[in-house]
Order: sequence, then structure tokens, then C-alpha cells
Amino acid sequence: MSKPTDLVQGTLDLLILRVIALEPMHGWAVAQRIRQMSNDELRVGQGSLYPALHRLEQQGWIEAEWGESENNRRAKFYSLTRAGRKALEKESAQWERLSAAISLVVRRA
Amino acid sequence: MRWATKLRLRLRSLLQGGRVEAELDEELRFHLDRLTEEHVAAGQAPADARRAALREMGGLDQRKEECRDARGLALFDELRQDVSYALRGLRKSPGFATVAMLSLALGIGANTTIFTFVNAVLLRPLPYPGSDRLVVLRERPPGAEGTVSVHPLNFLEWRARARSFEALALVQAPPLNVIGADGAEQIARVQATSELFRVFGVGPARGRVFTPEETRPGSHDVVILGYGFWQRWFGGDPAVVGRRLAVREGALTIIGVAPPGLRIGLMEPDAYTPLPIDPAKPASIGSRSFQCYGRLKPGVSLDAARAEMAVVASALARQYPMDEGYGVFVSGLHEYLVREGRPALRLLMAVVATVLVIACVNLAGLLTARGIRRRGELAVRASLGASRGRLVRQLIIESLVLSSLGGAAGLVLAYWGTLALVTLTAGALNVGSIEPIRLESTCLVFTLVISTVTALVFGLLPAWQASRVEPQMALGERTRGGTADRQQHRMRSALVVTEVAMAVVLLVGAGLLLRTFSRLVRVDLGFQPAETITMGLFLGARPPEARVSLVDQILERVEALPGVKAASTIQFLPLTGMNCGTGFWLEGQPRGDASHASTTECSLVSRGYFAAMGIPILEGRTFDRRDRMGGPRVVIVNQSFARRYFPGGRALGRRILVAWSDEVLAEIVGVAGDVRHNGLTSEPAPTVFLLHAQTPGYITTLVVRTAGDASARAAAVRQAIHDVDPTQAVSAAKTMEQYVGDLLTRPRMYAALVAFFALIAVILAAVGIYGLIAYVVTQRTHEIGIRLALGASRRDVFRATFGQGARLTFIGLVLGVVAAWGLRGVVATFLFGVTPGDPLTYVFAAAVFAAVALAAAAIPAHRASRVDPTTALRYE
Repeated sequence: MSKPTDLVQGTLDLLILRVIALEPMHGWAVAQRIRQMSNDELRVGQGSLYPALHRLEQQGWIEAEWGESENNRRAKFYSLTRAGRKALEKESAQWERLSAAISLVVRRA
Repeated sequence: MRWATKLRLRLRSLLQGGRVEAELDEELRFHLDRLTEEHVAAGQAPADARRAALREMGGLDQRKEECRDARGLALFDELRQDVSYALRGLRKSPGFATVAMLSLALGIGANTTIFTFVNAVLLRPLPYPGSDRLVVLRERPPGAEGTVSVHPLNFLEWRARARSFEALALVQAPPLNVIGADGAEQIARVQATSELFRVFGVGPARGRVFTPEETRPGSHDVVILGYGFWQRWFGGDPAVVGRRLAVREGALTIIGVAPPGLRIGLMEPDAYTPLPIDPAKPASIGSRSFQCYGRLKPGVSLDAARAEMAVVASALARQYPMDEGYGVFVSGLHEYLVREGRPALRLLMAVVATVLVIACVNLAGLLTARGIRRRGELAVRASLGASRGRLVRQLIIESLVLSSLGGAAGLVLAYWGTLALVTLTAGALNVGSIEPIRLESTCLVFTLVISTVTALVFGLLPAWQASRVEPQMALGERTRGGTADRQQHRMRSALVVTEVAMAVVLLVGAGLLLRTFSRLVRVDLGFQPAETITMGLFLGARPPEARVSLVDQILERVEALPGVKAASTIQFLPLTGMNCGTGFWLEGQPRGDASHASTTECSLVSRGYFAAMGIPILEGRTFDRRDRMGGPRVVIVNQSFARRYFPGGRALGRRILVAWSDEVLAEIVGVAGDVRHNGLTSEPAPTVFLLHAQTPGYITTLVVRTAGDASARAAAVRQAIHDVDPTQAVSAAKTMEQYVGDLLTRPRMYAALVAFFALIAVILAAVGIYGLIAYVVTQRTHEIGIRLALGASRRDVFRATFGQGARLTFIGLVLGVVAAWGLRGVVATFLFGVTPGDPLTYVFAAAVFAAVALAAAAIPAHRASRVDPTTALRYE
């Protein structure tokens, strides 16, 4: 069901899913959390975040609900669906395998 | 359930587009504001912070576009755009739009109308459960084409031996005389064996059906009412079961009411009575004059049943001499009922399909021209990034929009068309169920399918060609006379030639059918249908002497009425599709042996018949009062009989033995002229006329020849019959001219319809020619201007342009005539008195079309000759 995506896009999806799995949050918070959790290494491009969120919503892995943000403004909160949780597990496992394999090759060389 | 969520989201984006957009905007603005806040917190001025934030986000609109793309609804949005663009485009060219929609409306409307009939007559199954298992059985006589009715003996044998059927029923339909408050009335009645209702798979609306006991000999005065009759005669009384129905012979007990909509064959009976068959003497109720209906067992195919019945038939042929050479005919009931209408409907469908194709060809030409005009606009779109596929899709959407609008208009036309056609045909097409012929959902689906198919057919090629644009065309340079243009022109010419050919084929067909109709109207029937009135008299179960004297008294009374020239009776009127046959032996042939009898048609008439019907007596005399029961037997034969069995010699005075007439030698006292008894086009068959006074029948029809208007005398005749016997019922009066008119309904309908559609086709083809030549003139205005300026005369210009049109017309005519000749077998079954290759019709059709087409070509040619050279040269 998922279209063939290149590595970068797939990785972004994984990051978003991982972050949203902790608690429902809006787009801005997702970007902040990713930055924070990666020790400021990963900054999500402002242009790629929302298309990715909408695509994940379209695929049924996250669902959206309007709520009140920390500064009392209306914001769209995303949370993980059950299908999303399963996808997250699968993607995580895949990522682990992939990164381990790459590390092996890189270190060996 | 992911797909449910996904569907919900897509629907939401579709239906609540505005709200979704607003939400997207709000979401991105929220993000923008937080980003700005961050910059401000980092120390920037608010205005700078905002600008920096915007720059980082890269522009809200682009992000919105990406989000929209991510939602995967781009296709839908594009389609919506295309549709509204197409509608705008149509509004801007009202001329094109009107012509296109009108052609489509005519074509699609015609097809839907005819399809409504096809659906009602051919496609809609009979309204009984498991109706595909209903069959009709008939007997196939040796050597002859066609089938005859069933003998009760054979029915009993089939019922006993055949394994393929769940139930078999034997049926006959003599009328019934009922006595009501207003006197006697003749109603339609069906006599049937007890399995009838099981065969049709229906139960009674009230009460019960016949038991097998009731179809054994004995007195069973029971009746089941038809639903309509129950409403009419008893007012729908819910307690009707147990009441009595007064008939001439006494009264019958009502045991039930049939369900509504039950039709035996094509008739809805008013009453059902049991048909008692004595297993020991089945021939006592009659010979080959019954109908047999059956229901196949589940899982048994029609072919399997046919195979089994063939075996049964040969076994019976060996056992009974009367069955020698006879076979069994088994057919699905629905197919049997519509067998007459089917070829005609097929022909009509082919005709309207041709009209639609011509309309589509016209449209293809129009669209091609339009595509060339819009080259600039399409080139702009191409240069802005539209792919070829996108352009083609846009043009196809335009075709679909056009054909949907045309289809909707066509539906409206079809609605009126169906009403008009139903009134025109008025029962000439047999429909198995009582439901009226009208537009149903199947027809709507049909219209939808046809609209879509036509859009694709006439839209695809022009779309493909028009989308072949190069961006530099957008620079406004007029590409004139390139190879692509010539190719398109050649294609358009080919299309015009094809539609001319098709229109000519239809025109030839229409001409042939019109000539057939005029022949049928003038056919010599052998009798005089004018000024005769007829009424059905069912004499019922009276003893023979009573039947003879009743008819005598009635004839005496009626002959004495003022304005009556002659009166008589006959068992089955000509042109009602019924007749009897009997076996006979010539004098000297070994008699009594059924296997050696010759068969002939016979008619049971009273005295005065030939005068009443206007049939000439060629030799000898007619029946008169001297011929009585107990006197010497007399018969009259027709000319065909005399020629066949007494060739070269005199038939008068010879004697024959007729099986039906108690097998007594009868003398031929007269030879009558031949009559077309079985139809307007039927060949007269050898016939023996038996005298009612000597061989009384049960069913008769009174025939009265009047001076002046026949229907005016009907009341007086009815009164005369009432005076003789108040309990004798009489059926509705009908003149012989009305019978003839009934038989003319179908040929008239075919001729009128095909002529109508042929006319539309001719107009459409002429419009096609006009369109092509006019277009050429517009494209070549510049060139014509040059020619005129260089000294060509206006006549030369006219001739050159007209010549193009004439050339196309001529090629199309030749192709059309050849095609019509090739297809002549198709229409042969509908013709009478004219061969399918009749040269006069072809010549006439070609001449008519040529006149119309050349006129259509002359108009733009004339316009070309009036081109003002200065104006033409001024504009590039």
C-alpha cells in the first residue's frame, strides 16, 4: 500500500511515528521533539514535515484531532493509530537491521 | 480498517473542501507563528522574525500544494477543473454546442427509445418464478414447415413418458357465455388440466386451484376467476369463493381467483374451467387443437428436453398411425411468444445504431475542426507544462461532458418517443407481461453506457490529433496547409464518405419497406372487407339440432333487418390467424384408414357466406336452404383445391369424404374463389367449405354485409340475436376492415420508423458534407482571394468547391448502393411484393440523397464564390 519511497522520506516517516508514539502532539512539537531527542543533530526541514504528516494521515497510520495547544491556541494534534503502531514496529525493526548492516560494511572497510 | 478511514478522509476532502482548506491554512499558520516566536526569542525584530520564518518554510502556498498532493486528490481536482473548463468552452461556442448536442440527442434518444422496446419485449423475462424453465410444446407435421396444435392423446402420452418436465398442462380457449345483470356476455375463458398453475409457478390469489380429480370425466361445475374479471364482475368481493357464476347452461361454483398478471399465452383469461380428458377416449374432446405448456425440471436443459421428446415422438409414431411422421417441437415460452417481434426489433436496433454512428462521425469532424482552431490555446498549455496525456484527458473530458449533456437531452426525447411509439404500435408487438412499455432503470443504464461509448468513439481520435501541438504554435503563427492538416482533411473526407454510404443504405431500406407497405394495402385478399361487420357467437354445449336451428333463426332475423345485404356465419374468420384442418379421401380411395388421408384446410360456414364476404363463386352454386341435416351432403371447394385434386377436370359433381363431416361422402356443388385466409401475404391453401347446417360447430362468427357503414348496424344485429335467444352472448363487434387494419399495423410501423430514421440519417449526412466543405472554404479563404485576384471567375471558384462536395457525394453513393446490395438479405423477410434488389428503389434513393447532398454542398460553394478578394487578402 505504501508507495516506493526513497531512504530519506522513509526515515522521516519513522522518526515522526516514533515521536508521536510517545504522546499526541502537533506538527511544531514533533519537529521540536525530534531535534531534542537527537541532541539537535536532526532538524526536520520546514518544507517536508507537513506533507509527511498529511501523507501518513492519508495512509491511516496517524489520526488527527483539533485541540488546544500549550499557549491556548487551536492546533491539530496527531496520534498513532493501531495500524500505525504496527507499522512503527515493523519500520523500526527494518531500520535496526539496515543500519546494523551498513555499520558492518562501513566499519569493515 | 484502514481503507475505511482512508475512504472517509478522501470523501471529506471532496465534499468539505472548503473546511479542509481552512484547516490546512490554520495548521501551517500555527507552525509559522511558533517559528516566528522562536526567532523573536532569539533576539530578532518581529518583522524580521516573520520574514525569516517564511523564508525557512519556503512559502505557505507551496507547502499547501505539497500537502494537497500528499492527500492524493490531485486527480479529482484536475477532473473537476476539466469539467468546468469544458462547460465554459461550450458556453462560448453556442453554435457548435447546439449542433453537437442536437445530433447526439437525436442519436442517443432514438437508440434509447428502441432499446426500451427491446427491453420490454425481448429482454424482460416473463413475470413468473423460474420463467426460464417455462416451455411450450407443439406438434411438427411431416414434411410441412411450421408447427400445429397438440392432440390430447399425445398430451397424455407425453405426460406419462417424458421425464424432463416437472409439470405439463393442456389448454384450450373457447369463450364462455356468462349471464349477468345486463344480459349475456361472452368472456375469454381457458380450459386447462389441473397442472396449469403449477406449470406457471403461481398460486391462486384466493381459494384453490383444480384438483386432478376435476380433470377426469364427470361433471365438474367449478370455475376459477381471472383477477381482472373478479374485479370487474364481482367488484373484488373478498367472499367470492363459494359464490356462483351464472352461465347459459346453469351455474358454476367459484373455487378461487387467479393471481393478477397471469397470462396464458398472450391473453389474460377472464375465467378458468377444468379440461376433463377421458384417458380411455382422449380424442373425444377434439383432435389437434390444444396448446401445451410445461415447466422443465430443475437442472434439465432445453436441449436435453428436446432430445428426450424426439425419442418419445418416434416411439409414438410407431405406436399410433395418426402420429406417423410427426415430431415434437419444444421451445422456451418467452422465445416462442416474441418470435414474430424479434427480427423486427433487431432490424430497428441496427437502424438506430447506424443513425448514432452517423451522428458520431459528424461530431468527430466538428471536433477535429475545433481542435485545429484551438491549437494556440493547447500549445500554451503544453508550454506551461501539461503533458500530452493531460491534454488528451482534457479533450476526452470535453467529449464526455458533451455526450452527457446530449445523452440527458436524448433521454427526454426518448421519453416522449416511447410514449409516441407505444400509441403507434398499440399491441402490434407482443409483450409477454402486462406491464406497460416505458423507460426503466435498465434503459437509463443503457443511455449512460451509450453516451460514454460515443464520447470515447468520436472524441478519441480528434483528441489525439489535436494534442499533437508544438509550443511554438502558441506564438500565433498560422500554420497553413501542413502535412498534418492534409492528413486530417483526408480523414475527414473518408468519414464523410462513410456516413453518406450509411445514410444511403438506410434510405434504400426505407424505400423498400415503404413499397412493401403500399403493396400490402392494395393486396387482393379474395374477399371484400369493406362494409362487413362481425361478431363472435359461442354456441356452447347444445345438441347439434339446437345449434343448427339457432343459427338459422339468427340468420333469418338479421337478413330481415334494413340495410343488411347478406348474413352468414363462419367458424374462424379469415385474417384472425386461426383455421382448421381435416383429413379427407377422394371417392374411391380406401377410407377409414387415418394414415392414408390427405389433409386440407377446411372452413365451417353457414349458407350465404360467400355473398356476405364477397367471395365469387366460379362454378356451380353456393349453399342454400335446401341443404339440410339429413339431406345429401354437400361441400364447396376453393379453386386451389379444385386445381390440386382435380387437375384439368371438373370438380363439380365429384364426391369426397371429409373426416370431420362424419366421414360421409359429400358432393362438390360449387367452386369458390381463393381467399388469403391466414394473413395478408399468405398463399391461399386448398380449402373445403363445410355447411354448418349439416356439420354444426360450437364456435362461430357472424358475418353481416351491410349497405353503407357497417358499425352503425351493430346494435340492430345484436338486438336481433337477443330477440332469438336472450341467453346467447355475443362478443364485441369488429369490422373486417379493422381486422385488415390490424394486420397492417406492423408493416406500417416498420415503414414509418425506418423512413423516419433514414430521414434523420440523410439530414445528418448532408450536415456532414456541408460542414466539411464550409470548413475547407474557411481555411482556404486566403487562397480563394488570391485566385480571384489573379483573374479566376466566380463560376470557376464555385465549380471547384462544389466539385469537391460532389465528388465525395458520388463516392459515398456508390459505396452505399454496393453496401445496400450486399445487405439485401437482411431486410428480405420484411418485404412483400418487392424484391430486395429492386432497382427502382435504389435509383430513387440515390436520386433523393444526391439532391439533398448536392444542395448541402452548394451553399458553402456559393459562399466561396462570393469571397471578396480584398478582404480575403488583407487578413492573414
